[in-house]
Amino acid sequence: MSRGTQNLVLLLVGLATAVMLVKGTYLNYVRPVLLPWLIVAAAVLVALGLAAVIRDLRHAPDQHDADGGHGDHRHQSWLAWLLLIPIAMVAFVVPPALGASGAGPTAAVSAPKRRAFPPLPPGPAPTVSLPETVMRAAADSTNSLNGRTITLTGFSLRQSGGVDLGRVVIVCCAADAQLARIHLTGPGAAAAAGYPDDTWLQIQGQIQPGSAHVDDGFIPTMTVAAVKQIDKPANTYAY
Amino acid sequence: VTAAPTATRRRVGSLELLLVSLIALAVSAGTVSAFVSGRPDLSTAATVFCGVFVQALPFLVLGVVVSGLIATFVSAERLSRWMPRRPVVAVALAGIGGAALPGCECGSVPVARRLFGPGTNGAAALTFMLSAPAINPVVLVATAVAFPGQPAMVLARCVASLATAVSMGLLWQRFGRTEWVTRDLPAPPAHGSSRWTVFSEAARHDFLQAASYLVVGAVAAAALHVLVPAWVFEHLAGNLVVGVVTMAVLAVVLALCSEADAFVASSLTMLPLVPRLVFLVVGPAVDVKLSAMQAGMFGRRFAVRFGPATFVVATVIGTIVGLAILGGGA
Repeated sequence: MSRGTQNLVLLLVGLATAVMLVKGTYLNYVRPVLLPWLIVAAAVLVALGLAAVIRDLRHAPDQHDADGGHGDHRHQSWLAWLLLIPIAMVAFVVPPALGASGAGPTAAVSAPKRRAFPPLPPGPAPTVSLPETVMRAAADSTNSLNGRTITLTGFSLRQSGGVDLGRVVIVCCAADAQLARIHLTGPGAAAAAGYPDDTWLQIQGQIQPGSAHVDDGFIPTMTVAAVKQIDKPANTYAY
Repeated sequence: VTAAPTATRRRVGSLELLLVSLIALAVSAGTVSAFVSGRPDLSTAATVFCGVFVQALPFLVLGVVVSGLIATFVSAERLSRWMPRRPVVAVALAGIGGAALPGCECGSVPVARRLFGPGTNGAAALTFMLSAPAINPVVLVATAVAFPGQPAMVLARCVASLATAVSMGLLWQRFGRTEWVTRDLPAPPAHGSSRWTVFSEAARHDFLQAASYLVVGAVAAAALHVLVPAWVFEHLAGNLVVGVVTMAVLAVVLALCSEADAFVASSLTMLPLVPRLVFLVVGPAVDVKLSAMQAGMFGRRFAVRFGPATFVVATVIGTIVGLAILGGGA
């Protein structure tokens, strides 16, 4: 690959990153907190690429132009072609966010060493994130979920005989995705079971005290009061 | 590798080839996209690839900016004047100094390559490369958050990673050979070039080099992510040796970011703490994407020796430190 082409590839990596940020598809792969850093990265790459292109235009295209590097670099310069893979993936192919089958098998519950969680938000049915609910059910020494109706959002997951509400949890990027899930029971569960797999639902109900136990990988059970189908959110991951 | 005529032909065509590839990509994007989404395994692998690459990108850019600044402002003479004369002291200082580069492992490879210049202390640069991603404050805080109520885990990770980094530096000092480092940095631009030229040329070179190999590593990690069966995680409790070896191998094949690995380790509750500590010590020091990047920045002869040696040292030190600090129980 010639130096000029390398400069364009560098520029394209920056531009592909920018396209991904503008379209918002970066949320398929990483957490939203990475956004400012990705903006900086895209800007730096575009600046470095432009600087190299401009420098080569200003200076006579003598030995620099045709040289893919110096000495022993040249025979490896084909490797820069590999950068077309992320450019293609991120800007053109855009793989979707992970679903239940792509997430790791382990429940997203950390070592259930019991500790005090902060109280739940006030109100009749506060919205709590699904992984947080799983964590509270397994490890909250204040039992803050007992007797409280909460609102959860996730996708339906018909496995293991019953119906579950699931959510893919990522810590850093899609490579560490894990599946957090809650078993559904009670009057609302039949309604939830009526939807096909991977339907996005908002449910209200109460977590059964003591339903998260070690034999079942600390998956709690919720007595469901109400189920509502919702649109798939733009960001399907929970954190 | 290639004969001169082939190289000439390739050079002549690369710009046209790039344009043709881009047009082909734009035309086929919809078809490829549908093809990928229709196959769960392929789709998962593609998403994991994007995850690893996009996650690493800001850290890699930070790394090449730092390495560009080093190329601009820190000459080899200046660096060797700063470093202590005694190699052991230099290595120890570099290990502790690693705490000052808050990033994950992708960024530290190009930085270490710049520090590993002629006339400077290579062992110290390698120690810095291993310690920076493992003991910087961001990673240690992430570990503390992932293991609530278990501060011993943070201490054990810090001690074991620092010991691994320093041991590898000392091993390099004793047995390492500079001729294994076959990949040279490009000659600096002619004298009289502006600082901006020196900086941007160094950063440009290091990014292209490291990012290409990051792609290799991300492809490997994505493929293994799909191919390593789920039961591997679930059926290794009990036996300490089996657990330690499996977790060390998993750290290599999963190639997680050092800021995320603690959360993955903490979720593997069926395992005792010692194998999980080994996972945290091995991961930032050696994994498939790091080895690919080291092969790119230092050369293949270096990578095939340094990677396995780091793997053994990190696994052994992780186990010993784990048993000493965390004890044998769960």
